[in-house]
Amino acid sequence: MVTNTEQIIDNLFRKEYGKLIASLTRFFGPANIQLAEDIVQETLIAACENWGAAGIPENPTGWLIQVAKRKAINELKRKKVIERHNKKEVLSSKPANEIGSVLLEGEIADNLLRMIFTCCHPAISPKSQVALTLKTLCGFGVKEVAKALLTTESTINKRLYRAKSEIRKGKVVFDIPSGKELMQRLDSVNLTLYLLFNEGYNSSSGEMVIQKEMCLEAIRLTRLLCKQFEDHKKSYALLSLMYFHAARFEARIDDRGTIILFEDQDRAKWDKDLINLGMQFLQKSMDDLPSSFHIEAGIAAEHCLAKNFKETDWQSIYRQYQLLEELKPNPIIKLNLAIIQSKIEGYQTSLKELENLSNNESLINYHLLPATQGIFHMKLGDYESALICLERAKKLNPSGSEYKFIDSKIEECKRNS
Amino acid sequence: MQEFLLILKGDGMNHLSPDELQNIMSEYRSWVNQLGEKYLGGQRLEDKGALLKSKTDEIITDGPFLEPKEIIAGYFLIQAKDQHEANQIAISSPHLGLYQIEVRAISFPKMK
Repeated sequence: MVTNTEQIIDNLFRKEYGKLIASLTRFFGPANIQLAEDIVQETLIAACENWGAAGIPENPTGWLIQVAKRKAINELKRKKVIERHNKKEVLSSKPANEIGSVLLEGEIADNLLRMIFTCCHPAISPKSQVALTLKTLCGFGVKEVAKALLTTESTINKRLYRAKSEIRKGKVVFDIPSGKELMQRLDSVNLTLYLLFNEGYNSSSGEMVIQKEMCLEAIRLTRLLCKQFEDHKKSYALLSLMYFHAARFEARIDDRGTIILFEDQDRAKWDKDLINLGMQFLQKSMDDLPSSFHIEAGIAAEHCLAKNFKETDWQSIYRQYQLLEELKPNPIIKLNLAIIQSKIEGYQTSLKELENLSNNESLINYHLLPATQGIFHMKLGDYESALICLERAKKLNPSGSEYKFIDSKIEECKRNS
Repeated sequence: MQEFLLILKGDGMNHLSPDELQNIMSEYRSWVNQLGEKYLGGQRLEDKGALLKSKTDEIITDGPFLEPKEIIAGYFLIQAKDQHEANQIAISSPHLGLYQIEVRAISFPKMK
């Protein structure tokens, strides 16, 4: 048996993976991300074999750094031989002794930030950005990235391949931008991390553990940004928003993996520490020009602060959604506005509004619209209309846990009609 | 007791994620501890090396020279009562599945 003294922290390999990749990519240059990945993979395999046979060393992180360093230097020597032979430059001609300074403890944050800006570079498509971030910064394997993003391994491989070839073209520099460019690039980094978080938070059909890990990674990376760029208030708003949502992570799904509606969630299961963190960062985010993240965080705060569902300040939430709609007009926000209307003016008015929205082209195939209509009809006791809406929602490809939920409501309607 | 060499073939670990590798490491650790004195040692081999076919042929270096499933990834040295027990030990290894394992007895018994 593994004794207690031999325990190492969970996900140590995964956590160190991201750091090592970032350091080695800084050393070899972004065009050689693949080389960095190969070296780190070999390092972890060596750790697996060595620690498995001989026990875990006293300083696991230091061990990994030493082995990665040795492998990087070997690689450099090997490439030099090939370069000399072919008379061409393959790798940057950095002296081997520089690898040590790149791997220093104090450089880790800097390396990781450079890696974040690289993975979230606007030259790479958003989907590829998310895949690349999960693979390189979060240390997910291709299989795990595919699971987390609910797609196939071959799709992920294609996205990673495209991202890396964009990087190889040379437009992506492994650097932290400055001045005006910094603010713009930070905005696009924020968007990617927001996407990363949402993929984990909303795609409820996947494996819960992986989804949650993905949300925590998004939080970790956003925290890193906040620490480094204190003037970028949007990052604070984003972080606050993530904490508020993460606080409700467990309360949203029951033991059988079915969604629990917001109004039915057990508020005792909301994580108070995370809510507090959300409040802290919301305060720090105060800015003259609120962004959409600010408003979304504000809405989430309103929900988290309400004692119970009934006592929620719906007027305030409605106003904030209106602001959000002005800032980034989008039919999903219209849908939310119509739903909140039900809390202020009743289900009848809300259903009329939803009916109008159902003609909106971008919502025609959106399953949550008929699902909401179904639920509201049920609230009014109209099980027949509810059944029609729910059956429609079921046909529009809801995710696994949503499907289960809709199905359970359909059963309920059948029992009552 | 007889000594056996467990030869691991394949490239199974190259495709594992960091989390998966860490799990295998823990399982491997438990396996070694359970075997106790029956586990004598083991090493992983680098994928790259040299292949010499005769004294006169050109030396092929830097490999890998073989299909991924043929590459020798490493070995364990164990001791067991007989081939059957050695096979059972190989079956209980967390490496089986990731790698194929060839279980071969060392032909000269240890001198006491």
